[in-house]
Amino acid sequence: MRARVLLILAGVVLLAALPLVATSYYLYLVELAMINVIVAVGLNLLSGNCGQISLCNASFMGIGAYCTALCTTHFGLSTLIALPASVVVSALLGAALGYPARRLSGLYLALTTLGFLELVGIVIEEFPEYTGGIRGLKVAKPDIFGLSLQSNAALYFFVFVLTIAAVVVGANVQRSRYGRAFDAVRQSPFAAQALGIPVARVKVIAFSLNAAFAGFAGGLLSSVVGFIDPPEFGILTSIQHITFIVVGGLGSITGSIVGAVALTALPEALRGVQEYAELIYGLILLGTLLFLPKGLVGLAARLELLRPARPLTEPPAKPTAKEPVYGAP
Amino acid sequence: MTWRIILQLALSGLSIGSIYALVGLALVLPFKASGIVNFAQGEIVTFGAYLALILSGLGLPYLAVVPLVLVGAAMFGMATERLLIRPIANQPEFTLVIVTFAIGFIIKAAIRLHWQDNTFSIDAPFVGPPLVLGALRLNPAYLVFILGTVVVVAALFLFFGYSKFGKAMRATALDPIAAKLMGIRIGSVFSAAWALSTMLGAFVGLLLAPVIGINPEIGHLILKGLVAAVIGGFSSLGGAVVGGLLLGLLETYAGAFFGATFKNLVPFGVLILLLLLRPQGLAGASSVRRV
Amino acid sequence: MALLEINALSVRFGGVAAVTDVSLAVNSGEIHGIIGPNGAGKTSLINAVTGMVAAHSGSIRFSDKEIAGVAPHLISSLGLGRTFQHVELFGDRSVFDNVLTGFYRHQSYGLLAAAFRFGKAGQSERKTREQARLLLEAFDLTAYADTRAGLLPFGIQKRVDIARALAAEPKLLLLDEPVSGMSESEAEAAVTTMRKLAREHGITLVVVEHNMHVLMNLAERVTVLNQGRLLASGTPAEMQANTAVIEAYLGDAA
Repeated sequence: MRARVLLILAGVVLLAALPLVATSYYLYLVELAMINVIVAVGLNLLSGNCGQISLCNASFMGIGAYCTALCTTHFGLSTLIALPASVVVSALLGAALGYPARRLSGLYLALTTLGFLELVGIVIEEFPEYTGGIRGLKVAKPDIFGLSLQSNAALYFFVFVLTIAAVVVGANVQRSRYGRAFDAVRQSPFAAQALGIPVARVKVIAFSLNAAFAGFAGGLLSSVVGFIDPPEFGILTSIQHITFIVVGGLGSITGSIVGAVALTALPEALRGVQEYAELIYGLILLGTLLFLPKGLVGLAARLELLRPARPLTEPPAKPTAKEPVYGAP
Repeated sequence: MTWRIILQLALSGLSIGSIYALVGLALVLPFKASGIVNFAQGEIVTFGAYLALILSGLGLPYLAVVPLVLVGAAMFGMATERLLIRPIANQPEFTLVIVTFAIGFIIKAAIRLHWQDNTFSIDAPFVGPPLVLGALRLNPAYLVFILGTVVVVAALFLFFGYSKFGKAMRATALDPIAAKLMGIRIGSVFSAAWALSTMLGAFVGLLLAPVIGINPEIGHLILKGLVAAVIGGFSSLGGAVVGGLLLGLLETYAGAFFGATFKNLVPFGVLILLLLLRPQGLAGASSVRRV
Repeated sequence: MALLEINALSVRFGGVAAVTDVSLAVNSGEIHGIIGPNGAGKTSLINAVTGMVAAHSGSIRFSDKEIAGVAPHLISSLGLGRTFQHVELFGDRSVFDNVLTGFYRHQSYGLLAAAFRFGKAGQSERKTREQARLLLEAFDLTAYADTRAGLLPFGIQKRVDIARALAAEPKLLLLDEPVSGMSESEAEAAVTTMRKLAREHGITLVVVEHNMHVLMNLAERVTVLNQGRLLASGTPAEMQANTAVIEAYLGDAA
């Protein structure tokens, strides 16, 4: 447990020191990875913990991106207002999707989210006055308290701090009664109901929460990249997001981080074989689903490389000498 | 708005609707047999088109290409089912959905690797100048789409209604355990269902290739097929056909009367409305699980 | 006034009548048994009472409130709990987490408090975890606290199921076949626990069983169902002497 905390602290310190040594390109890459971590954490809460399939995660990222862009560029608001506004808007839309879909599951839920994805795509294309249409939209660099974040290091720390905040929030929610409710809804909605957990409402909360994370990440993305490109928010990106959590480990915050980082780094590592990147990506996804259903985190646990905070153990071989008779007369 | 235009639009709507119907059929088949929706179906259509491209590049005429593509697709479908789907058949729905997506992703990536995003074309005997029938001018390709669908639907009807294997498949769809107990080899049934559905998808690719050209994005029409299947309640083959035709007509008329934007919104509007209000579709039984 | 009053309840699935015109009343503090051969409609009855299945007709009153047609989680919130024949544990979480989840409805902090770990949330968690720990102790499950629930032997899973249901502090607990699948000694222990729950903690129990022997030692009053209908009701001794009841059980291992 001690070792784990030290490891995390070391990682944080190293990341914080990065601007001292890395080129702006690498900083950019790490920023992208961190944004993907935020996305993955949110999606894992919805799909990994709550078991709800969502093929429209990219849409919420897009909604957050456009919202932030409009707030800063159109209305001249500071990023410190634009980002929370994006989170709120995304959360509301997430609830708007989650509410009517709360009684659907499996295939029908997947189709509904697919429909939502397409709908958002069409809206983006059909209202170019707001969205820039298929040609995309330029976004101003983040503006905090009047200071424009022009320097690479400043932008990096901005993203860094916000990512840590998002991960902490995600972990807090997962360890709270809401996280338990999510898992309950996934594994046994009947038992959950019998315990007074409002299953439908919990699903809506999960959708809304996921949308908030995705919207937040989208807002950050648009600020970092400086440009919004609509194809980015299509089905392929949604599948990518799902790949993050499947490869990393469903239902695990660590898994979200590992998966997002590994799969953001992957296309970079495949630079040399650029054309094969997509194919390899798909093969990794398929391979993980077929052979590593618990993701990398599951693999590490099996190899005993990673001790979860409270290890789930095998039942004691011989519980007690005789069957316990509690409340004996 | 003359009768002539209305009829033309109807023909146009029915012909594109036939394509949607075929894709819808291809989706409902394996779902009825094994409860799995193949989200790679769009890429199967693309696969069929590119396979036709390869064979026609070897000098073969279209009519020779057709049966070869169908056989190739069937084998591909059976291989996929045995190697990739069956091992994970007991996993949660989440996994199954993503696996089929991944398969589609891989197919598309492989295609783009080799052919990039260029559009190719092949020749077919039914591509030509419009036929004139009285006051109507009919695109022969449209007729072939409709005819092709009629033939397929008739063949399936006969197969499921009268052939031994077809009946075995129906039994398995109703109750796999009972079917197994009666000696039906459900593994073969699953393979056959996937082979059939892959053939259907490839057939669509074959029809579309000479008409709209061959490029990696053809697969996008899986969405239309999904809507068709949902209209039919995902439980009825006939429903999927009706759904496809209905969707084609709705789209065409909407586009003619209200413009392109509206036309694009039709499928998704329909989908979301149905899913939220009547998931069992127009034909299906009201047994969609609602927790 | 009875704590639970069922009046002329009918439950149908499509064309099949699972429960027809059943009435029964359970008084506060009572241990009430519901018994009947397989297919008698016992589980459908429980499902209707807990709101997981819609009642076709009739009324269900709990604490003098009509609960037929009310959403299941609201019914639970009124103080009606249940355990499951097939346990329905949260299999990939630890036993401790399973029981902890049972306390959900007694925790009240909101999502924002959870997300940012406000004092309210932290306090609630600390208190609830302590309560869960004590509950595990009371059920002798402490050794299994960190074990994945799905890995446990069935008998122990049933114990976890009961502990988890109790975490919600129900006034009335519906137990669906609580000793099925248990060994002789496990079943005895379970019966003792149930008696203790009723006597010392004042929880009203409704125990559904098809094993007459178990209920005879446990229940104060018994309702017998057969093929979805009420067959007879009274004390266990009366039921054992009732010819119609005996006939219904002919051929059934009792």
